[in-house]
Amino acid sequence: MNDVVLEVRNLRKEFRGVVALDDISFEVRRHEVVGLIGENGAGKSTLLKILSGVYQPDGGEILRMGQTVSFKTAGDSAAAGIGMVHQEQSLVTSVSVAENIFLGEEGRGVRGGVFRWGELRRMAQAQLDKIKSPILPKAKVESLTFAERQMVELAKALSVEERAENEPVIVLDEPTSVLEGDELEVLFEQIERLRKFASIIFVSHRLDEVLRISDRVYVFKDGQQVAVRNRNEVDTDELHRLMVGRESTSEFYHEGAQLSVEGNPVLLEVSGLSKHKAFEDVSFALRAGEVVGIAGVLGSGREELSRVLFGAEPFSSGTIELDGRGLPLRSPVEAVKVGIGYIPAERRIEGVAQGMSVQENIFLADPSTVSRGPFLDARKAAAEADRWVKGLKIKTPNRQTDVANLSGGNQQKVVLAKWLSSPRLRVLILDHPTRGLDVGAKEDVYRFIRELCARGIGVVLLADTLEETIALSHTILVMRDGVVQNRFDAHPGNKPKPVDLVEGMV
Amino acid sequence: MTAQTEPMATRWLGDSSLKDRLIAALPLIVLIALVAVVSAQQPNFLGMSNVRGLLEGLAPILLLAIGQTFVILTGGIDLSFAVVSSLSTVLLALWLPEIGPVAVVLVPLITLGTGLLTGIVVAVAQVPSFIVTLGAMGLWSGVALTLSSASTIRISEGYQAIGWITDMRIAGLPVSALIAIALAVIAAVAFKTLSRGRTLHAMGLAEKALLMSGNSTRMIRIAAFGMCGLFSGLAGLVLASSQYSGGPTLGDTLMLPAIAAVVIGGNAITGGVGGPMKTLVGALIIIVLRVGLSAIGVPAAYEQIVYGAIIVGAVVLTIDRSRLGIVK
Repeated sequence: MNDVVLEVRNLRKEFRGVVALDDISFEVRRHEVVGLIGENGAGKSTLLKILSGVYQPDGGEILRMGQTVSFKTAGDSAAAGIGMVHQEQSLVTSVSVAENIFLGEEGRGVRGGVFRWGELRRMAQAQLDKIKSPILPKAKVESLTFAERQMVELAKALSVEERAENEPVIVLDEPTSVLEGDELEVLFEQIERLRKFASIIFVSHRLDEVLRISDRVYVFKDGQQVAVRNRNEVDTDELHRLMVGRESTSEFYHEGAQLSVEGNPVLLEVSGLSKHKAFEDVSFALRAGEVVGIAGVLGSGREELSRVLFGAEPFSSGTIELDGRGLPLRSPVEAVKVGIGYIPAERRIEGVAQGMSVQENIFLADPSTVSRGPFLDARKAAAEADRWVKGLKIKTPNRQTDVANLSGGNQQKVVLAKWLSSPRLRVLILDHPTRGLDVGAKEDVYRFIRELCARGIGVVLLADTLEETIALSHTILVMRDGVVQNRFDAHPGNKPKPVDLVEGMV
Repeated sequence: MTAQTEPMATRWLGDSSLKDRLIAALPLIVLIALVAVVSAQQPNFLGMSNVRGLLEGLAPILLLAIGQTFVILTGGIDLSFAVVSSLSTVLLALWLPEIGPVAVVLVPLITLGTGLLTGIVVAVAQVPSFIVTLGAMGLWSGVALTLSSASTIRISEGYQAIGWITDMRIAGLPVSALIAIALAVIAAVAFKTLSRGRTLHAMGLAEKALLMSGNSTRMIRIAAFGMCGLFSGLAGLVLASSQYSGGPTLGDTLMLPAIAAVVIGGNAITGGVGGPMKTLVGALIIIVLRVGLSAIGVPAAYEQIVYGAIIVGAVVLTIDRSRLGIVK
C-alpha cells in the first residue's frame, strides 16, 4: 500500500518576475491523507491552482500513477481523477444539490439539452452515498448549512471518480476555515471514510487539525517545500517553527519597539455599539499610540465592527466618540474628515485604485499637503510621492507606474502611504493588513505599525493570525457571535498565549 | 525588499507602453488621415470658408460631447443629454421674448438642474445610469413636445440675446466653436491642475477605492451629471441661435454623433480613461467625416448609420476586456 498515486517534482511558477513557487516537490500515496501547511504567501494556493489546471507551471512536472501529465484546463485535471474542494465555496446556491454536483458535466443526466431529473438525481444520490450523506439531491443549496454545503462540495469532487480510471485524489483547500465544532467532526469522519477508496490532500493553516487527520505533513515556506514529517514524529510547535522559519517571533513582530501607552489620552471611545445581526454591545477605548487587536473567527462580527468604525456600514445603536465628541459616521467621507483611516482586506478593490498611478493613489484620501488652494503643487507632489516610495521601500519603477502592476505587498504599502501622508490621521483601522503578503512585506508592515504608534496614532487591528494579534496589540478583545467574550492586556512582557484567546473564540 | 537599486525599469518597460502610446495617438492619426483624404478629393477643403463652415457645425456636437465626457469618465452614460438640449431650445424660444437676455443664463441653469436631478436619482437610488437616463430621455422629450405644442417656435423678439453666438467672428472664425474649444481646454486644464482633478477618472477606474479613501462618490456622480446637463443647455443656446428657433427635437439627431465623438476620441466607455481633449479630437473627426461624406455624395440619411457603426467599432477596438467581468 505504498505506491505513489500523485507526485509533484520541482514545480516552479513565476508571476511577472515574482516567484510564487520555487522548487516544490511532494508525493501522495494510495489511501493516504497528506497535509500541506504554510503561511499565506507560501505558495499553497498557487500549487492547488496548478493541480486543478488553472495555472500552467513554468517548470517541473506532475506525475499521476507514474505518468507525466499536464493540465491545461480544469477539465483535464478532473479527467485525471483529481477533485477539488475549494476554499471559497463554488456552489450555485439557487439550484439543487444534484445540479451542482454535475454542473457542466451532466453526462447521462442531460439529453438533447434537457435535464432528465430522475437520472440526474440518481447519479447525485450515488455520489452522496459514497460519503453516506443524508442530504437530498433535490434540495436547494441555499437551504443547506455551511457544513452541508461542504459535504456537497465533497460529493462534487468525488464525481471525478467515474471519469477517471484511477482512484481519485481529493484536494481539500482550507476546508475547516468555515466549519465549527460538530461540523468539523462530521468532516473528519467523512475524510476517514474517503480514505478507504481515495487519497486526500488536506491544505490548512490550522496545525492541530492538520496533525490530527494527516499521515504525513509537508511544510511550505516562501514557495519552497522546507520539511516533511510523519504524524507521530512531530508536534504543532515544531510545525509552527518550520512554517514561520524563525526561533524568535518577538523579533519578527518588532516587539521591542512596542511602547507603553499608559497615561496617553483616549482617542476613540466606543460604547455599547451594536449592529443588527452582526455584533452587540461592543465597548472599548483606544488610546493614542495604542493597538487594540480584535480576535475572532469568521462570523464573530469583528469584520463588520471594523467597517462600522470607518462609516462603511451603518450601526444600530451605541456611540463612537473621537476626542470625546460623538461621531455620526454615516459614510467613510465623515470618517476620513475627522482623521480615521481604513486599510481594507479587499486590497485590490477597496484599497488601491487600479489604473491610477502610485502617486495618485498616495494622495487619493488627502491631497492637502501637496495642494496650493484647490490646485495641485505638481513639484511638491512628485517630491512627496518619491519620499513615500523611498521611505516605505515601495518597489515600483517610478511614482507614475500604474499601481495595478505592483505586487500585493507593495500595493499594501501604497495604501499605507495614502493614510500616513494625511496629517489629519488619528486612528487607523487595519483589516487583515498582511493578508496575502510575503514574509518580508509582513515584517515591513509590522514595523510601520510600530512607527504609527510612536507618532501617537491609534490602531484597531484585525490580524490574520493569533500570533500577529498578540504580538502587535496592547489590548486584545476576543469576539464570538458578535459579543466580546474576553479582554486581555497584552502590554510588552505581559502577552497572553494563543490558547488563552482561542478559548473565547470557539 | 531591500534591493532598491535593482534595475526594475528594464523589466517593466517595453511590455505595454509602446502599444498603449500608439492606441492613445490613434484618434489623432485618424483625424489627420481623414483630413488628408478629404483634401485630396476637395482641394479647397482647408480653405477659410470651408473651415468656417466646418467649425459652425462643431460647436453643438462638441459641447454635448464634453458634457457627456464627464459622465462617461465616471463609467456612466447620459442618454438624455441630446433631448435636454432640444428642451433648452424650446425654453429659449418661449422665454426670450418674455424675459430677454436673462433666459440665456436661466436656461443653462435649468439644464444644470435636470442633470443634477438625474445624478441624484442614479446616485441615491443606485440605478444604472443607462436606465435612469433612458427614462429621463422620454420625460424631457415629452416636456419639450408639450411646451412647444409639438412644433418649431421661431425666435424673433429677443433673438439678439443669442444672435451673437452665430454671427460673431474672431479672426474670421465662429465664436461658438472657439468658446466650445476653449471650454474643452479649460476642463482639460482643470483635470490636470486641480489637486482632486483626477477624481472623475478614479471614479471610473476604482469607485470602491475612491469611496474607501473618504471621497463622496455620490456627490462626484451627481456633479458629473450636472455638468452634462449644463453643457447640454449650452449646446441648446448654439442650436437655437443658428436655427433662429426652438424645436422639441432640434438636438435629438446629435445624440449619436456626440456619443461617437466621445468614444472615437479615445475615451473608454467603461470610464476612467480619457478627457476633454480626446473628446475634441473625436468631435473634429465626426465633423470632418460629416462634411467628407456629403462631399463624396453620401446621402445625409446614411450619416446615422456611420455614427452608429463608429460607436460600436471604436469600442470594439479600444475596450479593455480584462477589466470587464461578465458583459451584459
